[in-house]
Amino acid sequence: MYKSLMHTAAVAALLIGGSAHAASDADIAKTREILGTAVSFETSKGLGNVPKLAAYLAGELKKGGFTDEDIAIIPMGETAGMIVRYKGDGSSGKKGIGFAAHMDVVEADPKDWEREPFTMVEEDGYLFGRGVLDCKFGVSTLVATFLKLKAEGFVPTRDLVLVFTGDEESGMETTKALSYDYHDKIDIEYILNSDAGGAALAPDGTPVAYAIQAAEKTYASFEMTVTNPGGHSSRPRKDNAIYDLATALKKIEAFEFPAEVNEITTRYFATLGPIVGGETGAAMTAFAKNPKDKKALGILRASPEYVGTTGTTCIATMLKGGHAENALPQAATATINCRIFPGTKAEETLATLKGVVGNDAIEWKLLGDGTASPASPLRDDVVDAVTASVHAAYPGLTILPQMESGGTDGKHYRASGWPTYGISGIYMKMSDMFAHGLNERLPVATIPLALDHWHHLMTNLGSQK
Amino acid sequence: MISRLLKAASVAALLSTSAFAADTDWNERFKEILGKSITFHTAEGHGQVPAYAAYLADQLKAGGFAAEDIHILPHGETAALVVRYRGDGSAAKKPILLAAHMDVVEAKREDWERDPFTMVEENGYLFGRGIVDNKFGVTLLVTTFLRLKAEGYVPNRDLVIAFSGDEESSMVTTKAIANDHRDLTDAEFVLNADAGGGTIGEDGKVLSYSLQAAEKTYATFHLTVTDPGGHSSRPTGSNAIYRLAKALTAIENYSFPVNTNDITLGFFKAQGPLTGGELGAAMTAFAKDPSDKKAVATLRKQASYVGVTGTTCVATMLTGGHAENALPQSATATVNCRIFPGEGVALTQERLQKAVNDDRVVFTQRGESTESPASPLRDDIMTAVTDAVHANFPGLPIIPAMSPGATDGMHYRAAGMPTYGVEAIYMKNSDGFSHGLNERVPVATIPVAIDQMYRVLTTLTK
Repeated sequence: MYKSLMHTAAVAALLIGGSAHAASDADIAKTREILGTAVSFETSKGLGNVPKLAAYLAGELKKGGFTDEDIAIIPMGETAGMIVRYKGDGSSGKKGIGFAAHMDVVEADPKDWEREPFTMVEEDGYLFGRGVLDCKFGVSTLVATFLKLKAEGFVPTRDLVLVFTGDEESGMETTKALSYDYHDKIDIEYILNSDAGGAALAPDGTPVAYAIQAAEKTYASFEMTVTNPGGHSSRPRKDNAIYDLATALKKIEAFEFPAEVNEITTRYFATLGPIVGGETGAAMTAFAKNPKDKKALGILRASPEYVGTTGTTCIATMLKGGHAENALPQAATATINCRIFPGTKAEETLATLKGVVGNDAIEWKLLGDGTASPASPLRDDVVDAVTASVHAAYPGLTILPQMESGGTDGKHYRASGWPTYGISGIYMKMSDMFAHGLNERLPVATIPLALDHWHHLMTNLGSQK
Repeated sequence: MISRLLKAASVAALLSTSAFAADTDWNERFKEILGKSITFHTAEGHGQVPAYAAYLADQLKAGGFAAEDIHILPHGETAALVVRYRGDGSAAKKPILLAAHMDVVEAKREDWERDPFTMVEENGYLFGRGIVDNKFGVTLLVTTFLRLKAEGYVPNRDLVIAFSGDEESSMVTTKAIANDHRDLTDAEFVLNADAGGGTIGEDGKVLSYSLQAAEKTYATFHLTVTDPGGHSSRPTGSNAIYRLAKALTAIENYSFPVNTNDITLGFFKAQGPLTGGELGAAMTAFAKDPSDKKAVATLRKQASYVGVTGTTCVATMLTGGHAENALPQSATATVNCRIFPGEGVALTQERLQKAVNDDRVVFTQRGESTESPASPLRDDIMTAVTDAVHANFPGLPIIPAMSPGATDGMHYRAAGMPTYGVEAIYMKNSDGFSHGLNERVPVATIPVAIDQMYRVLTTLTK
């Protein structure tokens, strides 16, 4: 799941275009070759093609000088995870740094697409194809950068490790395996994730800000069900499953979770306030200074863009009930989707909802596993390195720490003890964002930016003692 | 749809059954016709109703009815059957229409303990799909016609059997009988063998007989809220599900005005003493003064009686949203109404909309409704039925009933022919399996039914 900055800053950035690229034409061509080949593997759930993509990537890496022992493909059912170690000399005395992406994609039905989704096509400055953005762009630019560094004879002061999953868009079984079962074997200090963060461009193409995703809210859905003996609808009884459910829903609607902050959201609002400006910007600034400012909270919570950054949200998304138009309902169920602020467990949020509803006869069920993950501390070394990389392309661009509403591999990495930072090399307009949808596309111009980004980061972080 | 009184009267009837007057030959003939009737798989779509009608026509012809007096009226895969028993015209009155339906609700062999289309007798019961609803009524009317003809009886006005062939589904044949074939079916009133009947307590005592004289109007509405939706991580102020929840609570809290007619007042007046206790007292009080708020409150707490005090509307189904992680783009509730005769669908929708008071909740009616007036409790019919019932069960309370809908009667009433449900099955509520599995009727009710229908028809046509 690729996530990017979701906001529409009213202020245009002051910057003019970036400097000359370090990536050569040959680097770009190699990246496009890998990306095009990667897209040709239909790695949607259940098709068994992820191991083939992993084998292809391993072949390219071996051709580039990586050895068999540097590469591990870990089969899991029809899919696989992959670990590639770029050995350092150990001179920093630190554990390695992980670089994450996922090899699987969301399904794409060729009937629905204008172009064949599993053949990469270039048109009008865009590359089209399923996964061309999410997340085979991350896979390709990371592999291409590893190959370039190896060709350059670069020896890092600590290991650099590619951590690729094979079912991020579905069960995340490979993610869990890498996070928990292979945690010690992978042996890294933190992860830089190519599947989150990145720069948002204004409609005129100027960058607005670069986001570092450092936390994810916990995704948890609850079903609440009211049951009733039912009966014939010509004989309405006093209690009715649908009415009881409606009462519960109204209570949830009226309830507001308390305001919460962490380092990331505080810096997010403090940074964004002056950029956004106006009443909303002022509220951001005020909230960053004082999260108890009720007026500021009210303004932010009135905005769908920002409400989720101020605390937990839970919202009714689905309804079902009854079995015949002329029968009293025997059951009525609502689905409540929550985005839980880091630090609170899904079970605790469930307890809060139960208290709000106050009806012991309602049965609750957690859908999925509701994995909670802690916010990652905004480490100076990481933030400085990312800032340096971004500013090499766009000097002075605003760096915005970000908490997302969840669901990348990062939640398991963070839960397993690896701080994780989403720092994609993608620079694109929100209007070009078609990940998961039809006609997913990538601006060709972002390829050299991303290659420079990873090269800058790996050489910078990989040279520090 | 056989509609029976559902209640648990606490008073035991004073009676034990008297000697049955029915001729045992007719008893056997009845079982023979009923058994044959069950073998026709007359559920919707099986095309067996015309064959069943032809079988019945053959029995009647063999019993002396002229071919010109028998009309099988085909409609698609089903058919109606109209049979005229000519009178001498001495009463100078329009005919009496005798209604039942030949079709049945579907029954699957694998769901039943016994073959649903083979009549089986076990432990004093006859089993089979339609054994109650409504092949018992069909058989009763046909057998009574045969018996009267065999006895050389000549009524003082015509008696006309009108059997529909799709009462359990679309009622197209019913509408045709009530309207298009009026040259054959015009009548002063209708006696319906698919409604009414006697209630036996769980202890085996006969408690009461109910005569159905009105049906509520069945109407279903969809209440829908639409919204632009969006991603669930970005909740906005508007949410279709919450909006619908508010509307549902408004409907839950709304009470339709109290309404009464002769039938419901007669029902509560008769049922009050039988029921006894606080509830019985509330019935008696309500029958005297329908503005008695305490009595209304007591009755409306009871699922069995709230519908007799006025219109009811209740939420029956819910659907909304399209993905667990997306804000709902629409949410819909189904609200099923049973409308008191005379109030109408339009006024009911208007009242619901006023209670909801939210223009974003869009109401649409599902299907069509047939509004039918209550039938006046005519003295001649009440007397004939009471005397016939009392011949077997002296002093048994006769209770007028308004059913929540929907039998063929609604179309007859809507077409201007008052209709009275005078089925003559006496059974326990716990034996009621119409529409369900293992539908059954007590064998002991057959001679009673034959006698009662014979008495009703002869009394009304002498």
